[in-house]
Amino acid sequence: MNGHPEVVIEASPRPALGRALRDLWAYRGTLLAFTERNVRIKYKQTLFGVAWVVLQPLAFMGVFTVALGHLADVPSGGVDYAAFSLSAFVAWIFIQGAVNLGANSLVLDAAFLRKVYFPREVPVLASVLASAVDFAAGLALFAVVGPFVGAELSLWSLLAPLIAVAVVFLAAGVSLLLAGLNVYYRDFRHALPFLLQLWLFASPVVYPLTVIPDRWRELYALLNPAAGLLDSFRRTLALGDPPDPTLLGLSLLSTVVLCAFGYWLFKRLEPNFADVV
Amino acid sequence: MPPAVAFQNVTKRYMRGDARYASLRAQLADTWSRTGMRLRRQALPERGTPALEDVSFALEEGESVALVGPNGAGKTTALKLLSRISYPSSGHISVRGRIAALIEVGSGLHPELTGRENVHLFGRILGMSRPDIARRFDQIVDFAEISHALERPVKMYSSGMELRLGFAIASHLDPEIFVVDEALAVGDAGFQVKCVERMSSLVREGRTLLFVSHDLPAAEALCSRAIFLNQGRLVEDGPARAVIARYLAWTDEQRHHVLDPASQAGRDLRIVGATLHDLSGEERYAFRPGEGLELRLRFEGERVLRRPHVNVGISDGRAGLLVQCSMLHDGEAPERVGPNWECRCRIDQLPLRPRLYQVFCDVYGESGHGVLTEWSQVSSFRVEGTLGAGPLAVSDLSTSGPVDVPYSWRVDEAGDA
Repeated sequence: MNGHPEVVIEASPRPALGRALRDLWAYRGTLLAFTERNVRIKYKQTLFGVAWVVLQPLAFMGVFTVALGHLADVPSGGVDYAAFSLSAFVAWIFIQGAVNLGANSLVLDAAFLRKVYFPREVPVLASVLASAVDFAAGLALFAVVGPFVGAELSLWSLLAPLIAVAVVFLAAGVSLLLAGLNVYYRDFRHALPFLLQLWLFASPVVYPLTVIPDRWRELYALLNPAAGLLDSFRRTLALGDPPDPTLLGLSLLSTVVLCAFGYWLFKRLEPNFADVV
Repeated sequence: MPPAVAFQNVTKRYMRGDARYASLRAQLADTWSRTGMRLRRQALPERGTPALEDVSFALEEGESVALVGPNGAGKTTALKLLSRISYPSSGHISVRGRIAALIEVGSGLHPELTGRENVHLFGRILGMSRPDIARRFDQIVDFAEISHALERPVKMYSSGMELRLGFAIASHLDPEIFVVDEALAVGDAGFQVKCVERMSSLVREGRTLLFVSHDLPAAEALCSRAIFLNQGRLVEDGPARAVIARYLAWTDEQRHHVLDPASQAGRDLRIVGATLHDLSGEERYAFRPGEGLELRLRFEGERVLRRPHVNVGISDGRAGLLVQCSMLHDGEAPERVGPNWECRCRIDQLPLRPRLYQVFCDVYGESGHGVLTEWSQVSSFRVEGTLGAGPLAVSDLSTSGPVDVPYSWRVDEAGDA
């Protein structure tokens, strides 16, 4: 016999986490190929190319520093508002870009869905990973530029890359959740820019987490996992402070729940993708 | 030995109509009503329209099998289930070995990436490893005939180049089981020959092949076995020649549907019958190369017509007519025809090679301008013959020039002439 194990294709296979992860591992080559392709096409035919990794957060920082830092005098936790907002924007622009690409990836790559088998989360995760490459570049950049705009780096700053990994998982969970639904109802594509805008203003990016009254903070970090993660990311990266362990823990917990739920729902919807997309 | 592929009682239903674009609200309403029925313990109606119903068959390792049948028979659905692109509604399929599919050849290449980047990334997405691609890179580029445009983005390619590249990459995967859907109708005639050759070399290498094509000669040449599907059901499974003959007999029976009375309603002149006969007058739809043929057309009109010009053409499905017999040229139009009349067009000798041909017809008015019936297919026939002995006889069968002329070869040493 040809030595290949038998694959049985059946009606609506039940999602099982172990099997799904093994299958995903077997297709890691496809995941890397999709990721590489996404990275390559991202800045094709752009004048500034990869410089956009730097320009985007700087532009956001500029706008909000003038609008909120100077005009509205939003508190910035003891450092310059520029450093305060730039650190969070490095992470936020990743979330926004990754979710935007990830949620639409199945529709954009529908040609492959109708042509070849791979676990359908591959293009979604590849979009998040491709954005994560920019995120890593942005993080490295902040280490260089940050001190010039008033960031106070300390040993705690070494924790920031680990929190960044949690942010990547958060973006992956949200992308999986939205990508699966987007295949069925393109409504999500139209609602997405609005939802992302809403999420930005519901998260401590342009304002500090301390504007939330003390007794609500824990609930806030639990309901919006971005809150605890972004706050911790900024505290370690720009303020040189340790993260708030309770808020970080609560947000990590809800990130795990969100990833699990997003993946489970995605795998539930997966068998019909090719028929519907 | 267990089979390479086994379909067991496979049924596939697609969501009915355009449910895919149904609004969220309609979907919620549907779910609500089904839940209500479930609570009342009523039987739930089956969802969706069936594309395949209770289909079972198995492919042995190294077998090449053609799926034949009319459009909508479920052929493509079967391929999609096998390649795990879509899932069955019930039943199951077992597969041993890696599968590669040539489906929608040409889609999936990224327009912004260069030809070189596309070979690497598209190949890896389709499941090739990096060393595999490195090893076959030159072969793929040669096959696609794009070596001059490797560093250009694919959006600057002609559509033919894009299709060739898509086919070249997908057909250089190295699977045990190959699934091919209408992939041979790619590019120009020269490239089609290469595609059929590529397929037959894969068959000779002993790959398992499941092949869907409307190109029946190619199917018959490539495959030892065929399965005839119609309306989602398996009609016949057996040796390719016999099953394809059965399928052709079935299409003969459907031939009267070609003349759709509804589309001609309200016209002053309608084609009500079209039959083919051999020169002795017997009705036939299969001929040998060089035989004669007579087309008998029956018309029904509202009034007596003066000098109607009948125009008949034969095509092999590619662009342009191979044979045209036209009263517009000959100036032979009958002076007067009554409301019901018959017209015979006799071709003494048909210099056509084995293939399926379509017969078209229209009628012009007395001046040769106004169209009395639309140009439409009225019949079809098949020329049957044996394969040549040359190395490309198989691919020639479906792609070579269809006109057969009497000819001979003579080769001499130049010095002796």
